[in-house]
Amino acid sequence: MAEILTGAEILCRTLVEGGVEVIFGYPGGAIMPFYHALPDHPRLRHVLVRHEQAAAHAADGYARASGRVGVCVATSGPGATNLVTGLAAAHMDSSPVVAITGQVSRAMIGRDAFQETDIIGITLPITKQNYLVQDVTELADVVRDALAVAIEGRPGPVLIDVPKDVQNQKAEWKQSQPPRIPRARARDQSPGSIDDGIRRAARLIAGADRPLLMVGHGVILAQAYAEVRALAEKTGIPVVTTLLGISAFPEGHPLHLGMPGMHGEVHVNRAIQHADVIIGIGLRFDDRVTGNTASFARQARVVHIDLDRAEIGKNVPVDVGIVGDAREITRRLLAAVEPRRCERWLEHIHGFTRPPAASPHGLSPEAILSAICEASEARCTIVSDVGQHQMWVAKLYPYRRPNTHITSGGLGAMGFAVPAAMGVHLARPDDTVWAISGDGGFQMNMAEIATMVQERLSVKMAVFNNGYLGMVRQWQQFFHGKRYSCTPIWSPDYLKLAEAYGIPGYRVTDPSELTDAVGEANAAPGPAVVEFMIEEEANVYPMIPPGGSLSEPIEAEPAPAPAAG
Amino acid sequence: MTLLVPRAHTVAVLLDDALVTLNRAVGVLRRRNVPVEGLALHPSGAAGLSRLTFVLKADAVTADRVAQQFQKMTGVRSVMVHGGEDITSEAKQ
Repeated sequence: MAEILTGAEILCRTLVEGGVEVIFGYPGGAIMPFYHALPDHPRLRHVLVRHEQAAAHAADGYARASGRVGVCVATSGPGATNLVTGLAAAHMDSSPVVAITGQVSRAMIGRDAFQETDIIGITLPITKQNYLVQDVTELADVVRDALAVAIEGRPGPVLIDVPKDVQNQKAEWKQSQPPRIPRARARDQSPGSIDDGIRRAARLIAGADRPLLMVGHGVILAQAYAEVRALAEKTGIPVVTTLLGISAFPEGHPLHLGMPGMHGEVHVNRAIQHADVIIGIGLRFDDRVTGNTASFARQARVVHIDLDRAEIGKNVPVDVGIVGDAREITRRLLAAVEPRRCERWLEHIHGFTRPPAASPHGLSPEAILSAICEASEARCTIVSDVGQHQMWVAKLYPYRRPNTHITSGGLGAMGFAVPAAMGVHLARPDDTVWAISGDGGFQMNMAEIATMVQERLSVKMAVFNNGYLGMVRQWQQFFHGKRYSCTPIWSPDYLKLAEAYGIPGYRVTDPSELTDAVGEANAAPGPAVVEFMIEEEANVYPMIPPGGSLSEPIEAEPAPAPAAG
Repeated sequence: MTLLVPRAHTVAVLLDDALVTLNRAVGVLRRRNVPVEGLALHPSGAAGLSRLTFVLKADAVTADRVAQQFQKMTGVRSVMVHGGEDITSEAKQ
């Protein structure tokens, strides 16, 4: 006999059927029927956040750590608009997130009803797809379709807007129908042209004197670690990993050079500028990687492997473009290349290496990060926020295991780390998760400590406190005549804050305190906060000025210059 | 003196006849800062599909880059770029 269910019930059932286990959300008027139905589905664990932005970042963190779709739920109006930053972050970093928002009832749409907002219109440019469900009979297929669209091909966020009356509307429940909505899909590159691309790439590699592999997030998304490593080892080609490609290739491997771009080490950027062939796998040649594209790798012929055809040639001219899954294409390229070595080229690159920059005084980022690595016995996932600490983490943390570095790369959303780490923890409950933030980003979403306490989420929070919005202050120092406009930032007493939430808190001012504080926080059973009092005016070196050439890094504090206009 | 003027390219996009798809398509032009000279929407002749046509004052590389952005959109069935004698056509599955 046919089962007649409400839209809310159908929503829950299709989520369960789609394998969803965790939902990050916040209830409100227009999503109440869904919340009414939710307790009947204990397979759906709901995490009540303190702000919807955190729900979106947490779903994003969950997705990145698990490789599965992360789900967040909010009500209409302000609930939906609060998701926007998190959806934009997921969109920029190709993370599969499904957002479900309540909407005012259909009869009220377009009348500026209470808590009505055009979230479809608002999220059009920052979602892969979005749907306004006009009738309950569409609902199950829309949810199935959304879960599939979010993760297939190049992943990204999808939003489903469900009017309240549709959640209450009744329809027959039909189980596990294959997605009915036909999806037009970009045609893959023809097999012949992929074969040709691989042959041409292999020829370029064979003839290159100074080849370089540039590895991005696509390698993590495709889990192409073994293939990329085998390709590097078979050919001896040195490897650079972009910010989102970090941990796709083991740090410390003799062929690993480091991170390129704005805060890349001098020898890494010099290697790019001197390379005669660049093989880019799963990266989009973002401006923070290339600097001024007119002067980027001018001697290099570029092979670009990417799942998204629109990325090929978007930012830099490409000689050989191969559209496809990073793992599959790299495996085929590996079979096509002849073994070779690049010892002279490697020596050449090592000749570019600068002595390590002088550590900031007192408590150095290196010492903090190595204490965290030691305490967690390198079995932890690092979630970083945005700013100076993010660059220190990217450059200094010794990543050994794949996909253990999670950060908001493309959008650069401050406030990301703390909520995203909650999602990472739920995806990897057996791992230690450290959320590393500056004092600016931490204060954006520190309300989520309450979520961690209520939901028993064991996230370790490190706060790099220098009393400034450090990266902006650094730019002010370099490019705005040291005019520190609105960058000094006051912090509350984080020990008292921790106490108020009933969790352990530590403050480290001297390197001698590091091991104990970090060790205790790491071993504590639940969330913990550790504040690190770092040098106020420490800078991240080297630095390529925005729009500058990778060949012209700033390696020390520049002479005072008049303020830029 | 020779003035280099980018040639106009016409891009024709066959898409689902749904307001949200149209909105998304036009949004791509705005978001990618595409120099559009003219734009028209017509019924395509096929049920449920419309044809969005626009003229770009841009070189072939830019026109192709724009076409690729449309190509990957859900709801877009095909994208064609016409530029003088060159016509490239991309069908979707």
